[in-house]
Amino acid sequence: SWSSSEFDLNEIRLIVYQDCERRGRQVLFDSKAVRKIDEAVIQKMAEDAPVKTSVRTCQASSGNNSISSHNLSISVTQNVKEQIPKYQYTRPASDVNMLGEMMFGSVAMSYKGSTLKIHYIRSPPQLMISKVFSARVGSFSGSNNNLQDSFEYINQDPSLGKLSSNQNGKYFHILCVLQLCSSKLLQGVSEGGPLRLIRSASFFAAHSTPVDMPSRGQNEDRDSGIARSASLSSLLVTPFPSPSSSSSSSSSYQRRWLRSQTTSLENGIIPRCSESTSFNPSMVFLGVLAEIFLMKKIAISIIFSLPEKEDAQRNFQDFFFSHFPLFESHMNKLKYAIEKAMISCRKIAESSQRVQVYISRVMDALGEFSRITIWNLYSVPRIAEPVWLNMMSSTLEKNQLCQRFLKEFTFLIEQINKNQFFAALLTAVLTYHLAWVPTVMPVDHPPIKAFSEKRTSHFVNMLAKSHPYNPLWAQLGDLYGAIGSPVRLTRTVVVGKRKELVQRLLYVLTYFIRCSELQENQLTWSEAVGEEEQVLNGSKITTALEKGEIEESDYVVVTVKNEPALVPPILPPKNDRSKNHTIAEWVYNPKGTYPVPASSKEKKETIGKVSQNSETSVDCLTSTLHKGATDSGKRTVTDTGAVPYHFEEPSNLEDLTDVRKNKKQNDRKVEKQLSSRSSALPCPERSGHRSSHLEKVTFRIGSSASPESDLETRRREMEENLKVLRENPEVIHCASSSTNLTVDASQNQKESCEAASLPYSKHSICYAQISSCEGQGSMLNNQRMENTGTEVNSENTVPGELLLSVDNVETVTLPSIKETRTSCSGNLEGYSPGCVEVDSAVKKESLKLGAKDVPCGDARRKTPFRVEGDIPRNESSDSALGASDEEGDCCIPDEVRHDNVSKRLEEFAEVELPLPRSNTVSRQCVKNFGRSLLGGYCHTYVPDLVLHGVNNDEKLKQCLLADLLHAMHHPVLDEPIAEAVCIIADTDKWNVQVATSQRKMMDNMKLGKDVLVSSQVSSLLQSILQLYKLNLPADFCIMHLEDRLQEMYLKSKMLSEYLRGHTRVHIKELGIVLGIESNDLPLLAAIASTHSPYVAQILL
Amino acid sequence: MNAIVALCHFCELHGPRTLFCTEVLHSPLPQGAGSGDISGQNEQAEEEEGGIQMSSRIRSHSPAEGASADSSSPGPKKSDMCEGCRSLAGGHPGFVSHDKETSIKYVSHQHPNHPQLFSIVRQACVRSLSCEVCPGREGPIFFGDEQHGFVFSHTFFIKDSLARGFQRWYSIITIMMDRIYLINSWPFLLGKIRGIIDELQGKALKVFEAEQFGCPQRAQRMNTAFTPFLHQRNGNAARSLTSLTNDENLWACLHTSFAWLLKACGSRLTEKLLEGAPTEDTLVQMEKLADLQEESEGWDGSEEEEKPSSQPDVAEGQELSKCSPETSLMPDCNRWNVAHRRLSVFRSLRHMRQVLGASAFRMLAWHVLMGNQVIWKARDMDLVQSAFDVLRTMLPVGCVRIIPYSEQYEEAYRCNFLGLSPHVQIPSHILSSEFAVLVEVRAATRSTLYPTLLEDEQSLNKYEFVVTSGSPVAADRVGPTILNKIEAALTNQNLSVDVVDQCLVCLKEEWMNKVKVLFKFTKVDSRPKEDTQKLLSILGAAEEDNVKLLKFWMTGLSKTYKSHLMSTVRSPTSSESRN
Repeated sequence: SWSSSEFDLNEIRLIVYQDCERRGRQVLFDSKAVRKIDEAVIQKMAEDAPVKTSVRTCQASSGNNSISSHNLSISVTQNVKEQIPKYQYTRPASDVNMLGEMMFGSVAMSYKGSTLKIHYIRSPPQLMISKVFSARVGSFSGSNNNLQDSFEYINQDPSLGKLSSNQNGKYFHILCVLQLCSSKLLQGVSEGGPLRLIRSASFFAAHSTPVDMPSRGQNEDRDSGIARSASLSSLLVTPFPSPSSSSSSSSSYQRRWLRSQTTSLENGIIPRCSESTSFNPSMVFLGVLAEIFLMKKIAISIIFSLPEKEDAQRNFQDFFFSHFPLFESHMNKLKYAIEKAMISCRKIAESSQRVQVYISRVMDALGEFSRITIWNLYSVPRIAEPVWLNMMSSTLEKNQLCQRFLKEFTFLIEQINKNQFFAALLTAVLTYHLAWVPTVMPVDHPPIKAFSEKRTSHFVNMLAKSHPYNPLWAQLGDLYGAIGSPVRLTRTVVVGKRKELVQRLLYVLTYFIRCSELQENQLTWSEAVGEEEQVLNGSKITTALEKGEIEESDYVVVTVKNEPALVPPILPPKNDRSKNHTIAEWVYNPKGTYPVPASSKEKKETIGKVSQNSETSVDCLTSTLHKGATDSGKRTVTDTGAVPYHFEEPSNLEDLTDVRKNKKQNDRKVEKQLSSRSSALPCPERSGHRSSHLEKVTFRIGSSASPESDLETRRREMEENLKVLRENPEVIHCASSSTNLTVDASQNQKESCEAASLPYSKHSICYAQISSCEGQGSMLNNQRMENTGTEVNSENTVPGELLLSVDNVETVTLPSIKETRTSCSGNLEGYSPGCVEVDSAVKKESLKLGAKDVPCGDARRKTPFRVEGDIPRNESSDSALGASDEEGDCCIPDEVRHDNVSKRLEEFAEVELPLPRSNTVSRQCVKNFGRSLLGGYCHTYVPDLVLHGVNNDEKLKQCLLADLLHAMHHPVLDEPIAEAVCIIADTDKWNVQVATSQRKMMDNMKLGKDVLVSSQVSSLLQSILQLYKLNLPADFCIMHLEDRLQEMYLKSKMLSEYLRGHTRVHIKELGIVLGIESNDLPLLAAIASTHSPYVAQILL
Repeated sequence: MNAIVALCHFCELHGPRTLFCTEVLHSPLPQGAGSGDISGQNEQAEEEEGGIQMSSRIRSHSPAEGASADSSSPGPKKSDMCEGCRSLAGGHPGFVSHDKETSIKYVSHQHPNHPQLFSIVRQACVRSLSCEVCPGREGPIFFGDEQHGFVFSHTFFIKDSLARGFQRWYSIITIMMDRIYLINSWPFLLGKIRGIIDELQGKALKVFEAEQFGCPQRAQRMNTAFTPFLHQRNGNAARSLTSLTNDENLWACLHTSFAWLLKACGSRLTEKLLEGAPTEDTLVQMEKLADLQEESEGWDGSEEEEKPSSQPDVAEGQELSKCSPETSLMPDCNRWNVAHRRLSVFRSLRHMRQVLGASAFRMLAWHVLMGNQVIWKARDMDLVQSAFDVLRTMLPVGCVRIIPYSEQYEEAYRCNFLGLSPHVQIPSHILSSEFAVLVEVRAATRSTLYPTLLEDEQSLNKYEFVVTSGSPVAADRVGPTILNKIEAALTNQNLSVDVVDQCLVCLKEEWMNKVKVLFKFTKVDSRPKEDTQKLLSILGAAEEDNVKLLKFWMTGLSKTYKSHLMSTVRSPTSSESRN
C-alpha cells in the first residue's frame, strides 16, 4: 500500500528567469530571495503608508467572461488587504547564475516551443524541473484579450507597435519611481542592494503590453469541446487494428496501441500538438523595444531540495518520476499564475505596490503549488485496500475480501440509499469512470480453463510485449475514466462530516473505479539475479568451497546480486546464413565478453570479504587477458557471473588433481610457495598474479581465448613461470605440459595428456551441458570446424565437448580452459549454474577418470591441424569488424573474414547478435497511480486524486471550476480531452452532482448538475442486497454483480446497434422493446462510447 | 520501448558527434491483431509473416553507415570524421538483434538512417554535449520538446592519457517521443546507464593507468610545455573508444547492452488488465467443441462406442464444426448459416413470424423457450434446418439439441428440435402432449394462402405451415417475460435485424444470469422451497412460465460454470475466480 516519507515543503524553490538576446539573462523571481515580513512590521507599515487602490480596482473590474479574468477579479478583491508590503525581495542567491545556465543551456536554441528539462544536482541533492518558453512577441492581433483597457494599450498603436516619445518618457518615469519606491521599501534590508533589485524589478515597469489569454484558440468555442474531441477520437479510432472481430477489450487495447503508435520513433516522428508552448504575458517591451528584442525566453524552474537521507530521497524521487504528469500539470498551473501576476500587476500604477502585488501573487501561487502538488499529493491519506486492485492482485484471502466488500456494499445500499443517493452515486461513477467496462466485456475466445484463472487480457499482454507502451500512463487514463469517446477526465469527491461514512463510501467505490494493476519486472541475463534457484546454487557452491579452501564463500551470493551493465555479445547459433561464422571471434576473444569490472559500491564492499584465493584466481585471468592491465584485480573479482564459477573451479580441479595424484596437498601451501617465489620476479604485481594463477594449474590449460598477439609475451612469461615451477615438483607436472603446448603443439602429446586430460574431461562435461541446453555447443562446434578444416568436418557428429577440448589444445596459448569457460559463462547468459552443477558432478565422478581420457586423446589427434589453422594472424586493421589493430587481435582465420565480407556485400544486412535470454523477476509495483490516487478522507480537497473524501465543500466551491478548466486545457494524459468532470457526492445534503468544465453553473449553491439515477443501477443494487440477505455467499454475489455489469455492457451494445440506424432516439421504443429507460440513457451511452465512438455524436 | 539509445562523443576536432546508436523496430501490426485467433496454431505462421515484413523494413533502414561509400547516407562525410568520431568501421553493416518472442528488432549503426531520426539524434547529441548544462559535467539530465523529442542524457568522461585534460567527454542518451514514459523511466535508466558508464570508465582507467605507467604523459607534457597545444590536439584527437577501453568488441558489446537496456526498460512495468468472463454461450460452445474433439479422438483410437446414444451429439457436433472455423466460435453462428444457405427459407425470427403468422409463431416460440420438443415435419431438409437455425437463437446454446432430420421419431430427452420426414409416424402420446409442438409443412393448397412477402420467396409459397400442440397456449396466457420482449422486438419494424440480434443476446444473458443464481440456490446450496420462492420474486421470475423457463434453461449452463460453483462450495477458501 501507499507510504510516503516526510518531505519539507519549504524546500521548494521557484525561479523565474528571462533571457533576451540583447539584455542577457535576468532573474525575474527567486523565491529564495523573498522574505515574508513579520505581521507586526506590516501592521506598522500600514499605519505609515496611505492606501492607494483606486486605480487598480477600477481597472480590474472590466474583465469579461474569460477564465482568467474571473479569477483575476477574485484575487484582486483579495488583494485589497495586500496593499501593504508583505514581502521583502532581497538579493537572489549566489547559485542563481548557475541555475540560469542550466535552465537555458549554454547555447541558445532557436526552437520556439516550450522545452522541458530536469536536472539532478548532486550536492546538496536537488531536483530541478524547468520549463522554458518563448515569450509571445508582438501578439497585438490577439484582440480577444480582456485587458484592452489597460492604459498602456490605449496609448499604443497596435498595428505598428510604435511608441510615442511620450510613452517613452513614461516608461522612464515609471522606472524611476519604481527605483525610488523600492529602495525606500527595502530600507530595512541592508544586504540586498537596491540597485540590483531594481534591475530585476524593472521588468514590472516595462512589461505593460496587452496579452492574449492563455490557450484560447482563435475560433475555439468552449462549448464545442465535445464535438471536436469526438470527431478527433473517432478519427483516430477508425484505422486501428482490432485484436479480433469482436470488440472485446478493445477500448483499453486501442488506447494503448494508439499511444505506442503516436509516440513511435520508428519512421520518423509524428508531430503532435502540445500544451501551450509560449509564455503569455507577452514580454514585449514597449513599442520599438519589442522589435529589437525578438528572441526572448522565459524559464520557470522548480527546485526540490531532496532529503539527505537516502531512503527518503529515493522515495521522493520515485514519487516524482512516476507521478511526473501531475507535477507537470501543476507546473503549468504555476506558470499561469505567474503570467496572471505579471498581467495584473501591470495595471498598478504605483510601482512599489506593483512589486508587492507581483511578489505576493507569485508567492501565493508557489505556496499553492507546494501545498497542493507536493504536500497534499505526497502526504494525503490513501485508501489502504482498494478493493478492485486487491482482489486482482492477492489471490489469498480473496474470500475475505469479497465478504468485507459485500458487507460494506450492502450496508450502503440499505442505509444510505435515501433519495436514491447511493444509486445516483454509483450511476455517476459507472457513467464516468469507465474503466470497468473493458473488465466486463465478454471475451470471445477463452481458453477452456479460463474460468478458474484470472482473466487477464491476452491481447493487451501481447501488445505490451510487441509494442511497449507506458503502463503508468495507461493506468492513469483508466483511473480517470478517460477511455470513452469523447475523452472525459473524471474524478470523484465524497463530501461529508461523518468521516466513517465517507470512508465506507470511498472503500466501496474502489471496487467500481478500476484500473490495471502494475507489476515491476526486473530483467536479468546472467541468470544469477534474484532467483531462488540461484540462491540454492550459491549455497551449493558454498559447501563445495568449504570442502576446498575458501571459507568466505558465503559472499558469493552477495556478489551475484548485480549483473554487469554491459551485456556481452553472444555468437548466435549458426543455423542460418551465418555458416560462415561472421562473428566467430567473439567467442574466442573474451575481452569484450569478459566479465567487466563491477561498478557499484556494494560490490566493492564485498571484495574484502571474498577470499584471497578466488580473488587472485580471477585476477590472474584478467591480467592474462588484458596484457598490460595492471592492478584492478579487485574490481574484477566482484564481477558477477563468473565469480561463483571461479570459486568453484579451483577446489574442483584440485580435487581432481588430488585424486589423480593421490595427494592431499594443501593448496594454500602451494599458493604461498608460489607467490613467495614469484615475488622475486622482475614485475612483482604481474608475476604475483601469474604464480597464484599457476598454483591453480588447471586454469591455464588450453585457452582458445587469448589473443594471438599475446603469444609471444605469454611464452616468455611461461618460460619464466616454468623456471619457478621447476622448483616446485608438484605443480610442474601440469604446468610443463601446458608449456609444451605453447612451445610446440606437436610435442605436447605425451606430457599434456596426463595433465590435460583432467581439465578437459571436466570441461567437456560442462560444455556438453551447455550445448544440450542452449545449442551453444553446436555453435562452438561450427566455429571449431571452421578452424580445423575438412578433417574435423567429418567429425560433425562428435559431441561439442570433444571439439572444445580439441580447440583448447589447438589454441596453444597455454592459459586456461578456464578462460574460455569464463567467457562462456559471461557470454551465454551465465551458464555458470549449469557448469557448477556439472562440476560437482565431476567431483563425484572424479574417480572414473578412465572415461574422461577419451576427449584428451581426441584432442591430441587433432592438434597438428589446429595449430596450422591458427597461426595466420590478422593483418588488416581495416577489417570490417576489427576496430583497431593496435591491440590483440582475434584468432579468426583470414578466409573466414573474407568470407564474411563477401557475404555481407551480398546481403548487406546487419551482423546479427542474439540477445541473451532473459529471466524476469516480477513483483508488485507499489508506486503507481492505482495506489496513490485513490485517496482517503482528506483534510482538504486535492484536485489530482481520482477519488477522495473531504469534510466540506468550501474549497471545492472555491476552485473546482478553475481546476476543471485547467484539467481540460492541460490534460495530464498528454492527449486532448474534451471534458473534465468531477462527481461530487455530498453525504450531508444527500445529493450527487456532476460538475463539468463544459458548463458554468449559474446557481452558486450548486456545484454541478444533479445525477439521473439509472434504473439499471438501482435494480442491480436491490438484487445484490436481496441476494445477500438470502445468504448467498459473498463471492457469488460479486459474481452476480459482475454478470449484471456485463448485462449493462450488452445493453449498451444493443443501444449502439440501435443508434447505428437512427439519427434520433425514440425513447419509447427503447423503453418498451429494449428495456432501456430514459434514465439509463446517459449511462448506457457512456458505456457504448467505449466501443462505438459514433454514439456520442448522435446522442450528444 | 519506442526509444533510441545513442552514445555520443564530444570530439575535440569535430565537436559533438553521434558514435553509436541503437534503434528499435517493431512489427507493423500488434501481435494477434487481425487474425482474431489466439490459439497457438496461427501464431507460427503469423510470426513468419511478421518476420518477412520486418526484414523488408529493416532493409530499407540498413544501408551502410558512417563513413561508408554510400554518399546518400546522412552521416558526416569521411573527411569530417576521425577515429574518435567513429564507431563502426566503414562498410560495417551494423548490428541487429532479434527478439523472437516479441518480434522486436534492435538495430545499431553509427547513425540512424532515417533522415528525420538522424537529425533528431544529431540534435539530441549536440544538446547533450554542448548546450545543456549539467552541474558537475558528469551526470543525468533530461531535456526535450515536442518537436525534437525528449532526451535522457548522461554525460561522462573517459580517461585518455593523450587527451587534453587526460579525458574525453561522452554521453549516453535515450530519446523518446513519449516524455511521460521517459521521465517515468528515469530511475531505471539512470541506474542502468550509470552501470554501463562505470564499466566503460573502468576499462578505460585500466588502459590509462597502463599507459601512464609506461609513459607518464603529465611529465612529458610538462617538458614540452611550449609546444603549441593545438598541434598536440591534432595529433591525438583520433583515438577511438575501442582503443581507449582496449576492447575491440566494444561496439558489439554496446549493441547488446543498449538492446538489452531498451528491452529491459520496455518491459520494466507491465499491467495486469482483466477482461470480462466469456458469456455462457461462448463457454458452452467451447465445451461442445472440446467434447467433439475428444470423441473423434476416441473413435480413431478405440473400438466403436455405443453409437446411437451419441448421435444427437454428433449431429450437433458436426454442425458446430461446420460453423466454427469461419466464425471462430462466435456465439451467433446462425447468421453465417443463414447467409450461407441461400436456398433456405427462414432468414430470421422476424421472417419466420411473418410466414407463420403471429399466433402460430407465438405458440411455437413458447414451446421453444420452455424446452418442449419442437418437431418439424417436412420434405425439404433445408427448410427444416433453416427453421431450427432461426429458432435456436432464442435459446442459450446449451439448451439446444437438434436432430435435424430423421427417419424415425426420437425421444424428447434426446432432442428438443427434431426434423422428421413426412411419412414418419409420431407416437400419439406425443401428439397429444402439452410438452411438444408439431409443425407440419405441407404443400400449399392454394398459392394465395400465404401472401407473397417478397418477390424472391418462391420457396415459401409452395408451403403451408400447420402448428399444433397437445395443449395449445391460451391466448390470454401471459407467457414468459422473455417471449413478450422478443415478440415486441420482432414486431417493431424500426429495429433492424442486428438490433434484434443484440436484443436477443441481451435477453438471453439476462435470463441466464437469473438461471445462474437459481442454480446456485437450488442445486448447489439446496435451499428450502420458500427461500427459492423469495429468490424467484427477487429475480422477477416468480410467474409459472418464467420458473419453467428458468428450470429448462438451467440444463444449458456450461459445465465449466457448474463445476466452478460446485468446487467453490466444496472448498470455500478457494479463490473467487471472476474478480
